[in-house]
Amino acid sequence: MHRFVRPQLLLRDSKQPLLPTAGQLCTNHKSVVSSVRGYVVLPPTNDEEEKAMLHRMMRVDHAGEYGANRIYAGQMAVLGHTQISPLIQEMWDQEKQHLRKFNEILAENRVRPTLLLPLWNIAGFALGAGSALLGKEGAMACTVAVEESISEHYNCQIRTLMEKDPEKYTELLQLIKEFRDDEMEHHDTGLEHDAESVPGYQLMKAIIQAGCKAAICVSESL
Amino acid sequence: MLCMYRNASPLWLDMAALIRGLRAGRALRGLGGVAVQGTLSPQCSNVRRGFHRAALLRLASDSKSDTSVPPPSYREVHTAGESSSSSAQGESSEDAQPNTSFQDQSGEHGEDYETEEQLQARILTAALEFVSQHGWTVEAIAAGAETLGLSSASTGMFNNGAGDLVLHFVAQCNAQLAETLAEQNNQVQLGQAESKKTGEFLKDAVETRLRMLVPYIDTWPQAMSILLLPHNIPDSLKHLSTMVDDIWYYAGDRSTDVNWYTRRAALTGIYNTTELVMVQDSSPDFEETWAFLDNRIKDVVNMANTAKQVQATGEAVVQGLMGAAITLKNLTGMNQRR
Repeated sequence: MHRFVRPQLLLRDSKQPLLPTAGQLCTNHKSVVSSVRGYVVLPPTNDEEEKAMLHRMMRVDHAGEYGANRIYAGQMAVLGHTQISPLIQEMWDQEKQHLRKFNEILAENRVRPTLLLPLWNIAGFALGAGSALLGKEGAMACTVAVEESISEHYNCQIRTLMEKDPEKYTELLQLIKEFRDDEMEHHDTGLEHDAESVPGYQLMKAIIQAGCKAAICVSESL
Repeated sequence: MLCMYRNASPLWLDMAALIRGLRAGRALRGLGGVAVQGTLSPQCSNVRRGFHRAALLRLASDSKSDTSVPPPSYREVHTAGESSSSSAQGESSEDAQPNTSFQDQSGEHGEDYETEEQLQARILTAALEFVSQHGWTVEAIAAGAETLGLSSASTGMFNNGAGDLVLHFVAQCNAQLAETLAEQNNQVQLGQAESKKTGEFLKDAVETRLRMLVPYIDTWPQAMSILLLPHNIPDSLKHLSTMVDDIWYYAGDRSTDVNWYTRRAALTGIYNTTELVMVQDSSPDFEETWAFLDNRIKDVVNMANTAKQVQATGEAVVQGLMGAAITLKNLTGMNQRR
């Protein structure tokens, strides 16, 4: 059920995401682990292996969104006063929303965040700023590479969950699909804004994607 | 009666079946229940057995206070019998247990059959009473097994010996702590209790947990050294980290950044050092230990506040520098839009 058609340049209000606005723990609620929402993203399970798998997935997704946030922050730091800045700001806001959602999930399900977060903080900012120093095309190329990696990673996760039990993981699948669609939008936006015209595009893309793959691998367990 | 058990292949099971069949006959007469016919089809008899099992267990749980069902094979060597107030009805229903659980031995484990883990847990819990006498050793486990009517050779079940006993105790304490914290949390959520500040909450949680060591404090150094043995370290670290995670969770920590690690590391340090102080504390009711704990928690809270202040100051300084840089750029005319 593909709810979202990919618009050229989407505005914040036109989207009706699944993400609810309130994520605070309701102090009047009787149970310990609950929020204001009516549904739970991760299905509760007693199986240790399944729980470990879900936790690993959430950990790496959280790390990914955190890194993406920092990349956009780096890009804005350099290109904040240019013409491209509203576009980057908007993509950044979407990533912030994703990160907020994963923060909620991690907190609710007591998932341990990855130990390498400070590393992704610095590396992401450096990557964003470094690519932005190559100009607007460089920033777009970096966006394209990273978003492609992240989309592929989300697709992998969707495949895994579908293979296991699509019905049990309905909410989780919905969430990941929604985020994957957002990342694909960013990817397409980057392509539209002359990402490929940066000199050394293929090389840059290859390096960045290799780095992303390594980061994903490591963040799952560590 | 015996044809009910045709499903089992090994010979010894047939012998056991003979004994249980005889017992089952007595039990069923005692119950005045349904007569089981040998001509029934296997599925039918399974269902029938299921109902028997449920009925007998209900009787057993009504008559006895503890929840676990004693395994039938050990009933045969059981001499003293349970010290609980078992009525005649309870006796007959307990004797009838062998009937219901046999099927489980040959096939899958039903939920109503005590697993090996449950049995081990019961033995270790019983063994805790002998720790003051024998220390954290296999002798204590043997003594515990004997109170349950099992032979002291049951210690063979425990590959890790004393390590199993200590780890079981630690797990038990942690579970108790988690329960207490959850209960307190519920009270706060329901508005029946005031929520505590973080420092106070941590202090109370660590004190609650350490007080569980008080009955075993004389032998606790031995237990600590057992936990530090290389083959026990993964398990003891796991227990420790789960406990610290639980305490922070109920203290309200929902951080998803590096604070997650720093907080847990700090609390682990506090807990371990306080534990060490406790084992050599001779003051009445361990007053010095709680004072030490209080000071350590205060240190951590101060450090956290200082860190926050440093960060705020740092941010202010950065803002100031940026302002100065922009002013300079304006003055020198460099701040033109490209």
